[in-house]
Amino acid sequence: MMTLLADTFWGTFTGPFRRKEFFQQLYFVANRSLFIIVFCVCFAAVVTILESSFHMKMVIQNDAMVPGFAAVLILRELAAIVTALLLCSRVGAGYASEVGTMQITEQIDALKMLGIDPINYLVIPRFFACVLGGILLTVVSNMTCLFAAMMISQAYLGYTPGMFISSMHRFVQFKDVLFAVIKGACFGGVIPLVACYFGFNCQQGAEGVGKATTNTVVVASIAIIVIDFILSYTFSYLY
Amino acid sequence: MKVETKVGLLALVSLIMVAAFAYAMGFIAPFSNTKELNVMFNFAGGIEEGSPVRVMGIKVGKVKSITFDPEHKMADGEEVKLRLTITIDKKAWTSVRKDSKFYINLAGVIGEKFLEISPGNAAAGEFANGDYVRGEDPPRIDQLLSQGYGLAGKVIEILEKNEGSVTNTIKQLDALTTNFNRTLVLLDKTTKNREVSRLLDNAVKISDDMAYFTTNLRSKKAEDTYDLVHKLLFRLEPMDAPAIKKFLQEEGVRARIF
Repeated sequence: MMTLLADTFWGTFTGPFRRKEFFQQLYFVANRSLFIIVFCVCFAAVVTILESSFHMKMVIQNDAMVPGFAAVLILRELAAIVTALLLCSRVGAGYASEVGTMQITEQIDALKMLGIDPINYLVIPRFFACVLGGILLTVVSNMTCLFAAMMISQAYLGYTPGMFISSMHRFVQFKDVLFAVIKGACFGGVIPLVACYFGFNCQQGAEGVGKATTNTVVVASIAIIVIDFILSYTFSYLY
Repeated sequence: MKVETKVGLLALVSLIMVAAFAYAMGFIAPFSNTKELNVMFNFAGGIEEGSPVRVMGIKVGKVKSITFDPEHKMADGEEVKLRLTITIDKKAWTSVRKDSKFYINLAGVIGEKFLEISPGNAAAGEFANGDYVRGEDPPRIDQLLSQGYGLAGKVIEILEKNEGSVTNTIKQLDALTTNFNRTLVLLDKTTKNREVSRLLDNAVKISDDMAYFTTNLRSKKAEDTYDLVHKLLFRLEPMDAPAIKKFLQEEGVRARIF
């Protein structure tokens, strides 16, 4: 895994940049995942704000601050992590099966025979596409999440959008969006690295591809959660 | 549509979203219409960067930055070391005068801190952009608690030292209350006594009679009588006592009468 990571970084500076492949992958990662991510994070935002309101009412009989801290929770954690886990399930599994199939059908060996570096050809475009896709999707999911929270707080909690934004003013900083974007980029970067690693080490047969896919989703999900903890801990010193 | 275009559109949309968010939250203000003031405090009491600034309860700006300025002295020589740079909308700028007061206030019991500006008199001049002004330091709750704690300690000390006399005073107060209660019971009994009731009835009758009498005194007839008596007295006044005596003792008068 570390070798793959080092090769990827090395290939970033040395190898030719495959622009067309990069855009194809970015389209696959960002545009094709957009709907499912927006749909899911909206529901996650709704649950967050309703639960926050319920708990605040239970503790201090007042939910006036809920829009503010729910917005912080969405920006710092929820949108980025939900986006990353969904990307992991969709893109990571796709990459692992794709690269795994190429491995067992000896297409990767053929690439090597043709003098094409498989890392430069397969991993680097996917890596950059996932990093950029992670950033874009995190931004979009953050904003749609906040919008959904605003709508639901107006419908069920009685806070107008103006009150919601006013409450957000007290808690939200621009750093929150910035850190969410950094998280999105890191989560996005992990997915193709894990997927390609398991794809390159895929065992023969359909069972091997299935195992590689499963392992990718499991390991990438764990990696995302661990990286989330590390980044949150690091960012807590920067507030 | 080409793949690059679709991807570019998504990137553009996300950029627009971030920009709109930053504008809505006031992180960027390309069409800024504000002026700045530096409000100096010695204790900021929980106010933070981004806290709202209100004039007459309406939000007109925010606390832009909080900085330590140890070298700063006000015009009267007072050392004030904490500088709050605040922004105020131009529409509210004319309401903030040189005699305005700057308070750090709290919205609700667990609400946020904000900087309240009381509008000044129109006669006082306007501030210039970036002027320095002294704010009213908020009360320190920790100091109040500390003082209250000290006061409570002293009260306990006094009570402990004078335990005997305090007990005695309480006993006397108790006895006094008992006596007062007895007196009230007696008074209650007295008011229910028949003689007193009769006395009160008579008093009512007398007052009724007095009312009748005084009503008659106010009649036209009574006024005429009063005038006649007055005239008579006016006539009798110049007559001295020997003259009246002589007149009454004269034979003629006697003969006429008898």
